[in-house]
Amino acid sequence: MGLLTILKKLKRKEKEMRILMLGLDNAGKTTIVKRLIGDPIDTISPTLGFNIKTLDHNGYKLNVWDVGGQKSLRTYWRNYFESTDGLIWVVDSADRRRLEDCKEEMHKLLQEERLEGATLLIFANKQDLPGAVPTKDIATILDLESIKTHHWKIYKASAITAENLLEGINWITNDISKRIFYKN
Amino acid sequence: MSLMRGKTSKENESLINRNILDDKKENDNRNIKDSQYITPDIVLGLPTITDNYLCSSEANTYDIDFTRFQIRDLETGTILFEISKPPIIEEENYFKTSASIPQDARIDANAGRFVRYQFTPQFLKLKTVGATVEFMVGSRPAKNFRMIERHFFRDKLLKTFDFEFGFCIPNSKNTCEHIYEFPALSPELVAEMIENPFETRSDSFYFVDDQLVMHNKADYAYNGGLEKKKLGPISILE
Repeated sequence: MGLLTILKKLKRKEKEMRILMLGLDNAGKTTIVKRLIGDPIDTISPTLGFNIKTLDHNGYKLNVWDVGGQKSLRTYWRNYFESTDGLIWVVDSADRRRLEDCKEEMHKLLQEERLEGATLLIFANKQDLPGAVPTKDIATILDLESIKTHHWKIYKASAITAENLLEGINWITNDISKRIFYKN
Repeated sequence: MSLMRGKTSKENESLINRNILDDKKENDNRNIKDSQYITPDIVLGLPTITDNYLCSSEANTYDIDFTRFQIRDLETGTILFEISKPPIIEEENYFKTSASIPQDARIDANAGRFVRYQFTPQFLKLKTVGATVEFMVGSRPAKNFRMIERHFFRDKLLKTFDFEFGFCIPNSKNTCEHIYEFPALSPELVAEMIENPFETRSDSFYFVDDQLVMHNKADYAYNGGLEKKKLGPISILE
């Protein structure tokens, strides 16, 4: 394993992390990113490509890729898998009708070779809405317990109230750093 | 200069010793067409700002179109500078007086490739800034899209951005914001930069699959508000 360790260190000298945010359209991916940075969230239109933010967080340089979730764009998602350290899957908890779709798309991603090993954070977003499906039920519908290939964690969240957004980001960056920077 | 047609062996030797850029310049004088010589490594090694554009406007075969540039102060949330297509009317503020595309640049073929920024000295005191670009991509997917931006004061390199956008979806609209700490500049250098408007310059190179497809330039003054003459705020992207 000696060689692998050296290669990892070479690649990671700057403590960079690449985080990919995906989810169905209208899940709230862009709103979450904007909320985390403190941008206004009142005029967000559908993402028809990507939005990238690079920022320093707890001593790490995070490159966050938020890619549009419309059906026509999903076929392009695979172009963004390479070198991904963490995957944030955003769920619209109030969109009951599409939770089954949501599950399928997520499990498809988990089978991708190039996402192997990536830490998975699930934001059960829009929990501030009255019709939101409880986080525990979302976990069941998405069949999270069956995931053995990735470290994962689900957070009850709201981009509007900012509930658990920072907690989620802290968890995923910690998990990635433990895997990548400190695992010998 | 007739190095490209060098006849004696001495001339040939010196041709070998010259770097590719000089060759490129020779080519430029005849026909700005081939930008395949220009690789990311070459532009990363340039000692200063280039004299010429290293590719023609026609090199942009992916129809990449920049529609917005913005710089903001993360500490106060103030937008320091924004230029967009279609143009927005901007107001002067504490940090900036204007940005414009100079008159003489508007009429030539390189219109829209050069922007002149006028900031106030306060700009150089900022700590954390966010620099956003927004761009659209035409009907062809752009693979390995990479931006290399180099900022110089005279021959001193202030900052290099090197960022790989990777794949761009056909007909997409994309944004990228780099949030970064402003490089620490010595008070002497800051004073010099304020005293010498437009000697701070930048080259922005854009590559698709290691091929140079766009090259834009900008220059900067930081003496805004110090001079009597008032410049009208103009913001146009051609």
